[in-house]
Amino acid sequence: MISSPVIEVDKLDVTYGSFQAVTDLSFHVERGELYALLGTNGAGKTSALEVIEGHRKASSGTVRVLGKSPTDRRGARPRMGIMLQESGFAPDLTVAESVGLIGRLSGRSDSVRRLLDLADLARRADTRVSQLSGGEKRRLDFATAVYGRPELIVLDEPTTGLDIQSRDALWDTVQQLREDGSTVVLTTHYLEEAQQRADRIGLMHNGSLRHEGTVSELTRSLPASIRFSLPPGVPAPPLRWAALADQSFEIETFQLQRDLKQLLDWADAHAVELNALSAAPTRLDDVFRAIEAEPALVS
Amino acid sequence: MLLIARSELLQIVRNRAVLITSLVMPVAASAFFIYNRDVFSRIGSLGYIAAVLVFTIAAFTLYSTTVTTLAARRQSLFLKRLRSTAASDATILTGLVLPVSVIAVVQVGVILVVFAAVGSAPADGVLAAAAVVATFAMMLALGIATAGVTNSPEHAQVTALPLSLGVIAVASWVGITGTESLTLLKRLLPGGAATELVVSSWNGGAELAATLPLLAVTLAWVVAAIALASRMVRWEPRR
Repeated sequence: MISSPVIEVDKLDVTYGSFQAVTDLSFHVERGELYALLGTNGAGKTSALEVIEGHRKASSGTVRVLGKSPTDRRGARPRMGIMLQESGFAPDLTVAESVGLIGRLSGRSDSVRRLLDLADLARRADTRVSQLSGGEKRRLDFATAVYGRPELIVLDEPTTGLDIQSRDALWDTVQQLREDGSTVVLTTHYLEEAQQRADRIGLMHNGSLRHEGTVSELTRSLPASIRFSLPPGVPAPPLRWAALADQSFEIETFQLQRDLKQLLDWADAHAVELNALSAAPTRLDDVFRAIEAEPALVS
Repeated sequence: MLLIARSELLQIVRNRAVLITSLVMPVAASAFFIYNRDVFSRIGSLGYIAAVLVFTIAAFTLYSTTVTTLAARRQSLFLKRLRSTAASDATILTGLVLPVSVIAVVQVGVILVVFAAVGSAPADGVLAAAAVVATFAMMLALGIATAGVTNSPEHAQVTALPLSLGVIAVASWVGITGTESLTLLKRLLPGGAATELVVSSWNGGAELAATLPLLAVTLAWVVAAIALASRMVRWEPRR
């Protein structure tokens, strides 16, 4: 039996008055996937995510979450955990009360104690939310999102404000949930997180989905780069290079291994020491910059 | 719904500002009216004092606290958080206003019982209860509606004031001057017909035929207030 996608977005439009925030957005998320929906500022990903979360109605198009309308809270929410971008907890409730309240209202079963341990908030269980730090509030948010191990977890900027240790702990938990079969939708400004964790990435710009695919699919259309400096008086190697500064060069290549070997062979043959040598594959940052600078560059 | 109501009650109890505004101030004002009942009954009647007591609780405990609470919960994105769960909008709203509604009902019950004990009991208790229930329903719905145009708890001090003072002014005007003159205007103002109902129920002498139009106008205000609330309710801060 072929399982249907966990999320299906088809020709979604979201408008605010005369402003078109999302235009003709279509994508799907398969069961068990970690799908990162990324975008430049104002790209429309928050609007799209709010429709998926059921917080906003689509202006046109259809969105199905776990086979149901996202506004069907009774149908969808018991199977879906949402980590909002901003905390939104009652300041006068304690941490334990907040986890218990939101968790139980979500229609799932779990132990508050387990969640507090998971989010490293056990010693803050009786502390009022108003007294938590920003990072602790994010961890509280995460605890409510994964309460009851939901099938689908929406993580909106999950690691903003978290220290390295907390980030690692959060991603370990996400990985564990994925191993148990959960599907994850992620938005983040930390592109390296998406690059490391996502199975597939959707890149939005100016309200529409510009590119979608695995990291290697997205980055293969842009060249990798080799950078180096030469001692004074040494001529440049016989490769296609661009001068960055006096005796500093960059080689952009789609054949990183071949061109790097060629450069090293040339340096060996001419007894030239390559200073500040670095070879970097294309990163998501480069794809982002390319989209912002020249939308037609990557196709 | 009870989960939300319980959390809301905890927040009211833990927030001294809300506790004083919603509990202490209305009780203090009511105590003042009851203590000076001879003076106020000479100005109006015992029924007038009962009406002012009802509207003091309705305006300050119920209406103002509803406006402040909903504005605060929306501003802190707690409403959005609740809407991320499986709870329906009706469940969320009911849970949020239930504690303050219960507090207001208990308050008005105790205060009117005390007033009846030291002053005089209502001539028609059922009519008095109907008037209180209708008044509270109207003020609760108007509170939800007003919260829709209130951006923050601080802003609530401005937005809730006109109606709070307005209904008490109407209650005083109708209670002191009666409805022999400007009858239609007084009865159509928010709380006007309800005030007349409370006064009649307390002082006695009202015929059923005379109270039915007052009940109809009061219920019309309830319906209008609910319609306003359903149109104006807002779940997220304006962007």
